[in-house]
Amino acid sequence: MADGEFNGEFYLRYYVGHKGKFGHEFLEFEFRPDGKLRYANNSNYKNDTMIRKEVFLTPAVLRECRRIVNDSEIMKEDDNNWPEPDRVGRQELEIVMGNEHISFTTSKIGSLMDVQTSKDPEGLRIFYYLVQDLKCFVFSLISLHFKIKPI
Amino acid sequence: MANAEVEAVDFEPDDDDLMDEDVGDGSPSRAAATIPRLKSAITGGGSSTPKKTKGRGFRDEAAAEADRNARMAGRFDSLDSDGGPGPERSIEGWIVLVTGVHEEAQEDDLQNAFGEYGEIKNLHLNLDRRTGFVKGYGLIEFEKFDEAQQAINEMDGTELLTQTINVDWAFSKGPFRRRNMRRRSPRGHRSRSPRRRF
Repeated sequence: MADGEFNGEFYLRYYVGHKGKFGHEFLEFEFRPDGKLRYANNSNYKNDTMIRKEVFLTPAVLRECRRIVNDSEIMKEDDNNWPEPDRVGRQELEIVMGNEHISFTTSKIGSLMDVQTSKDPEGLRIFYYLVQDLKCFVFSLISLHFKIKPI
Repeated sequence: MANAEVEAVDFEPDDDDLMDEDVGDGSPSRAAATIPRLKSAITGGGSSTPKKTKGRGFRDEAAAEADRNARMAGRFDSLDSDGGPGPERSIEGWIVLVTGVHEEAQEDDLQNAFGEYGEIKNLHLNLDRRTGFVKGYGLIEFEKFDEAQQAINEMDGTELLTQTINVDWAFSKGPFRRRNMRRRSPRGHRSRSPRRRF
């Protein structure tokens, strides 16, 4: 069974965003096979500008990211019954793990209610929680690496 | 697909061979007519194994990819480094990653275990968003390199709350090579025998 958990390639990209009054507001991060983590957060709210950070992660961090993805079992899911992206927003999750490559798109998920009332609550729930866990991981990595602690 | 504004990226989407997926092997493909193209950044340009693909993201490949390139183009901020191998210092200290953390661990457990190596400047012990238990990793910041190095040396592979933890650096100064990439020794094929002296 080629779950590719610790062997083979790994790539992960997540995007969430929408286009509206404050421009193209989005959050996107990318774990690349060479260890580079890229993070971008854009909004024109109050004329804000884009934040873009990148840093190289060690193999240990990539392994932990793979474990998180593997434990979620997202690779077994499929987005064909998930809500399509719409005016409110769009999410994209693209993962290469071993010899599998998924690229899911869906609308923004406001809350668990949206998950429960969808046509694939089980799958969407996995997506919903995985995205939260990944965001936690990325925000920790980025803020620890780049942010100065206030006094 | 040419996007002339792409700059400062590791890969050249136009130059590198984009891997055309070989659908002849019977792998299921959501995009029936289009053969999904793998960005060379994803594969690192090295692999040639065909992938099983799944998902609506493989539709409208060209338009989506152009959007992505535009978003991910441009300069990304990073801390200065010489790009060599080895750990990289973060803004105010050195970050180590602890994995295999028991799901009922508390911040105090990490404080107690790691605090003896130096003052812990920052500690993140994130929770699983669904279960509320610890997700399994922690990030610890030490002010000094030696403190972090000692924590790694002494705590990696030890037990915390009955579970084996692993401890390593979190950030690196440069990219790492994948295991199965051929390494070229700097000596090449030169002989190691001492040179003849005249």
